[in-house]
Amino acid sequence: MTMGKVLYYTLVDLARNRSVLAFAALLFVVAEGLFLVEGEAIKAVLSLVQVVLALVPLVALVFTVVYTYGAQEFTQLLAVQPIGRSAILGGRMLALGLSFLVALLFGLGLPLTVHAPGGTSLVLLVAAVLLAWVFLALGTLIALVNRDKARGVGTALAAWAGAVLVYDALLMALLFAFSDRPVEPFVLPVAALNPIDLARIAVTIQVDLAAMMGYSGAVYKKLLGSGPGIGAALAFMLLWVAWPTVLAFRVFRSKDL
Amino acid sequence: MTRRGILRRPAAWALAMGLAVPAAATTWTVSPKGPHTKLRTVLSTAAANDSIRVLAGTYAEGALVIDRPLTLLGVGAPVIDGGQQGHVLVITAPNVTVKGFVITGTLVSNIHDNAGIHVDGGDDVKLLDNELRNCFFALHLVNTKRALITGNRILGDPATPETRRANGIHMWRCADAVIRGNRAEHHRDGIYFEFVTGSRIEDNLCRGNLRYGLHFMFSHRNDYAGNEFVDNGAGVAVMFSHSIRMTGNRFMHNRGGSAYGLLLKEINDSEVRDNSFTDNTTGLMVDGCNRVRAEGNSFRSNGWALRLFSNATGCTIAGNSFIGNTFDVSTNGDLMLNTLAANYWDRHLGYDLDRDGHGDVPYRPVGFFALLVERIPYAIIFSRSLFVTLLDQAERVIPSLTPDALKDDRPLMRPPHG
Repeated sequence: MTMGKVLYYTLVDLARNRSVLAFAALLFVVAEGLFLVEGEAIKAVLSLVQVVLALVPLVALVFTVVYTYGAQEFTQLLAVQPIGRSAILGGRMLALGLSFLVALLFGLGLPLTVHAPGGTSLVLLVAAVLLAWVFLALGTLIALVNRDKARGVGTALAAWAGAVLVYDALLMALLFAFSDRPVEPFVLPVAALNPIDLARIAVTIQVDLAAMMGYSGAVYKKLLGSGPGIGAALAFMLLWVAWPTVLAFRVFRSKDL
Repeated sequence: MTRRGILRRPAAWALAMGLAVPAAATTWTVSPKGPHTKLRTVLSTAAANDSIRVLAGTYAEGALVIDRPLTLLGVGAPVIDGGQQGHVLVITAPNVTVKGFVITGTLVSNIHDNAGIHVDGGDDVKLLDNELRNCFFALHLVNTKRALITGNRILGDPATPETRRANGIHMWRCADAVIRGNRAEHHRDGIYFEFVTGSRIEDNLCRGNLRYGLHFMFSHRNDYAGNEFVDNGAGVAVMFSHSIRMTGNRFMHNRGGSAYGLLLKEINDSEVRDNSFTDNTTGLMVDGCNRVRAEGNSFRSNGWALRLFSNATGCTIAGNSFIGNTFDVSTNGDLMLNTLAANYWDRHLGYDLDRDGHGDVPYRPVGFFALLVERIPYAIIFSRSLFVTLLDQAERVIPSLTPDALKDDRPLMRPPHG
């Protein structure tokens, strides 16, 4: 009950804040623009993949961190009331998660269903929502661990760059170094450890990767198109949502506010 | 040849010379209701240059041989069923016409090239508007000049495994053939040529063949125009030939590990003009070719639009449009003795201050990632990663790995054709 109240008031606050609304509008404009410019819908979806994979984690991460710091006084106020700390954090994270969900459904889901209804669009939308949640959880954890706001935002940006750029760069360097060894079977699983890469591969393999990868492409496509494969990918993404969330709760429970 | 055969032939000729000079040719009618019910009997008694009308019905008489110039006209699509004994129809004489039949029942064999219609030394043969249903080889021509093959429907069974399939139109040591408006589906190769020269292949459709839609080797001075090659296992592969013209063909949906819209290997002094390459794993692959001109082609939505290997020399790639491909151009080495000129590239972001329709600075279509994937194929899973996109842009601005000559000095600002 108390968590419901925290959820409700955070949602009201987020609605008043309008940042999430602006994010939804931005996504909507970008998506509509791409569908307008690209002749074929599937090409627009592929361009959208790149935008979504970079933008959604960045916005989710930075907004969560900034919002968490901004809500510090409100948190202190709540903490002196007879409300459990889990309810405070749970309510806020749920509110953030819900508003990202709505923002993505409107900003991304609407253009996708209008211009390119189908499996690929669905995969992209689900991937975007899960990515938003992953980076919401990570952002909450980062903001709770770092007392200093500048440090927190810095860490968040570093985490984003790490996931979106550095991880791929390192992996490609390794690939290059070990190119004369049979490392092919490991490339996809290791790449998929990174939620952004997993999301990217899950979408692109539906469209253009499979045919260009020879046999392993066909295998991957079968894998990521089958029930157990999709289940495993979803489970892995949810794991990425779960572990920062669990850690955040542990930190928050004993944190000196 | 049996004793009877040897004896019968001079007799027939004597008959034709002596008696039938005023009435030049007889028309025979074969039908299940008579007057003649057996095609085999008529084929062995008809004189040279006679016509045989075959009415609707099924003629299951084993392998039939046409050994003199005859015209066979199917009326109402009569079926000739070979009953799995070998070839169905064998033509060994010149000037034979076979029109409007349904031919089926070839024996599948690992030793003999059994065919629906097998032509050996049948110059000026005309195979028109027949349907070849589930044949092993469908049309199999050897040592034949000036064959005319039009309007045939060559339909294999999609469920047949590769070991039990052979080619749709197979030609060996033929010359000056015209192959027009045929369909070849679900065979091993749709059209296969070896040692075929001076022929014209136009407006055919090759679809769903397990291996190649069109496959030829050592076949010089041939024209391929307006054909469509769709959904074939490995697309089209042409090798070891010179003076080939391929114009206005459509290469589509040939996808798979090593599938090509069009693979040119060791092709010299040839032209690839105004074709469209759409949705293939590799659109056009140029391997070890000399002086091939690729002009006015349109490459859309391919994995690799053009793979230009560095063992190709003197090739010209001009006036083509590259739109929506994952990679526009890829190569495998540092050497580049070919020319890219005045193509349209959808990734080109240059400017045209003098308004002559060409970009003012050279465009380099080979990205870093394309080279990386050429070297490590499975690096393809990094496709569309932000890091890769940034690297590609960096390589375009400051080229360090791509061959210096691989650039388009006058990139078009607009696609040449729509």
